[in-house]
Amino acid sequence: MDKEIVIVGLNHRSAPIEVRESVAFENSYLNHALGQLRAFPSLHEGVILSTCNRVEIVAVCSDAPAAFDEIKSFLAEQKSAKTNDSFEAHIYTHRGAEAVRHLFRVASSLDSMVVGEPQILGQLKTYYQIAQKAGTVGTILHRLFHRSFSVAKRVRSETGIASRVVSISSVAVELAKRIFDRFDGKTVMLIGAGKMGDLMARHLKSSGVQSLMVTNRTFERAVDLAARIHGNPILFEDFPLYLKLADLVIGCAAFPEILVDAPMVERVLKERKQTPMFFIDIGDRRNFDPRINDIDNAYLYNIDDLKGVAEENLQERAQEAEKGEEIVQEEVRRFVAWIDSLEQVPTIAALRQKLDDIRQRELEKSLSGGLKDLSEKQRQALEDMTVAMINKILHSPISLLKKNPQGEDDEDMLYVTALKKLFDLGGK
Amino acid sequence: MDVTLLKLTAVLYLSATVGFIGYVFFPRDSMAKVSPLILLSGFGIHTAALSAHFLQIGYPAVAQFREALSFYSWLMVAGYLLVQLKYRPTILGSIIAPLAFLMTLAAFAFGSGGEELPPELKTYWLPVHVTLAFLGNAAFALAFAVSLMYLLQEYQVKRKKMTSVVRRFPSLEALDRMNYVLLVWGLPLMTLGIITGSMWAAVHWGHYWSWEPRQISSGIAWLFYAALLHGRVTAGLRGKKAALLTVVGFAVVLGYFLWGDTVFPSRHGGRFE
Repeated sequence: MDKEIVIVGLNHRSAPIEVRESVAFENSYLNHALGQLRAFPSLHEGVILSTCNRVEIVAVCSDAPAAFDEIKSFLAEQKSAKTNDSFEAHIYTHRGAEAVRHLFRVASSLDSMVVGEPQILGQLKTYYQIAQKAGTVGTILHRLFHRSFSVAKRVRSETGIASRVVSISSVAVELAKRIFDRFDGKTVMLIGAGKMGDLMARHLKSSGVQSLMVTNRTFERAVDLAARIHGNPILFEDFPLYLKLADLVIGCAAFPEILVDAPMVERVLKERKQTPMFFIDIGDRRNFDPRINDIDNAYLYNIDDLKGVAEENLQERAQEAEKGEEIVQEEVRRFVAWIDSLEQVPTIAALRQKLDDIRQRELEKSLSGGLKDLSEKQRQALEDMTVAMINKILHSPISLLKKNPQGEDDEDMLYVTALKKLFDLGGK
Repeated sequence: MDVTLLKLTAVLYLSATVGFIGYVFFPRDSMAKVSPLILLSGFGIHTAALSAHFLQIGYPAVAQFREALSFYSWLMVAGYLLVQLKYRPTILGSIIAPLAFLMTLAAFAFGSGGEELPPELKTYWLPVHVTLAFLGNAAFALAFAVSLMYLLQEYQVKRKKMTSVVRRFPSLEALDRMNYVLLVWGLPLMTLGIITGSMWAAVHWGHYWSWEPRQISSGIAWLFYAALLHGRVTAGLRGKKAALLTVVGFAVVLGYFLWGDTVFPSRHGGRFE
């Protein structure tokens, strides 16, 4: 029978977090769950995905409605008793080309909460490998997942979907990269112990910054923070003296007070021989004089500026996502063509079978009717002749079909469909 | 001049231009790899054309305006290819490749701009003077392109609105450093170019300096660049101001190069008494 790809699941759009959590699979439990899945009579292959934003079962079956029911009840069994709302309403199902499209979109991060986020592809690969080890992946899912990985790569490289960063601290790091060529020789000064500043400093450290100064009105907090992010604490009264060493200055003090003003920056820049400085005012309260941005070789972004850039980038991603959808659509067509081509082999066998049935039936009729006086030798000759006739008739159509058994041409599919119809071979 | 080779050069420079400008709008790694290679092959053909001509007439073909254009674009492409090896500012190619193409094209458009070189001027001074002066100018042309990129990016970073083209520029720090390196190379070359030119003039005409427009414009540009380099080394003159000065200095050179000869016919335009 024809095999079909199905997906049953729920994600961040279809279900609230409580419901997603209740059906999520623990990694340690996955092997067991995949084993259960294999036991279902309607399923031939299966992969379970379970991330914090989605739980999905990707499977190959020969009877989609039956498979949907089985998988739904399988998911319902996972659900802990705590939640009682109508579980069914949060679940979506896809089959055939729609299922292929869904998986390609998930892999390409077009279906993610933050479109273009890079983690999902890695997660998909992990869950695929787990299923492969558990032995629940066959020809079709093998091809489907590998195809989805390369579709994701295509979308990533041919569209700008992931080229724009959207979190505040990554936006700030991207901006710093417009100003500075490399971070390894740069020094960061963090003023204030706010949470965003802490995050920002860590982000810069992971981008290569080695030298970090931390200051805070309460010196103990500066010492604490410095210890946590491997920086050097400095006394709050002293920070203006150290300012000339800093290439990046992060302001994140809890009080609404201008700590660094424009004349101060002008003075410091002179001492630094105009080596550029980047001021990031990342706290809710402004700590840097807005006029700093008017000074040559000094750049100032406050939290609203950063949010503005992040918002723009998000819109840019949405535009790029549309290009991604087109790529996905094209890839789905190719994949569906491949699935259909799998049916060629059964078609050839069915055609042979059908003609041979006719031959034997007619032969029997004749041999028991008008030709019943034939000798054993003559009967054998007649048998051979009819077999040879059928082989001769089938030779050119079958060799045409076999030329490209896994072909992705629409033309090949046309022949398979035509043969099925002409000879009433059943199937779709 | 071997017209076929030069035409081929122009075609290759045009293809490279298409590749580089395509890269600005569709940043694919393949484009970043292929475009410099096309430019390099154009450069190879260009080299062959110039060498063939050199062998034919026995001295570098630089006396006529169109020859000068061709030679100059050759040096500029050479300079870019060297910078590309070290810093990989592929986006810079989108300025250099079209410039090189237009200059090669202009070399066709301009007829012979002056007389044949008188035999008594065919000495070693000529290639030395012209090569040094042009090398200096080629460095300044690159510095000019780099500075324009700096100014555009600096403006956008300050305005907090960045276009996707600017996002692929090298960082401000890198552009500023390239400006410095090109200046450090360009100024001594230009200085030597001016000195050898004066020596040559002294040998043939008996005076070092004749207030030709070419000499005046070089003098002005030289003062600009010398002041700029001095400022960079001693007073921390960098960033936007340095980029602005580079642009202005090159505008003087460029202005002469484009219009000087037509407005003020002179030896540098191929007119030798």
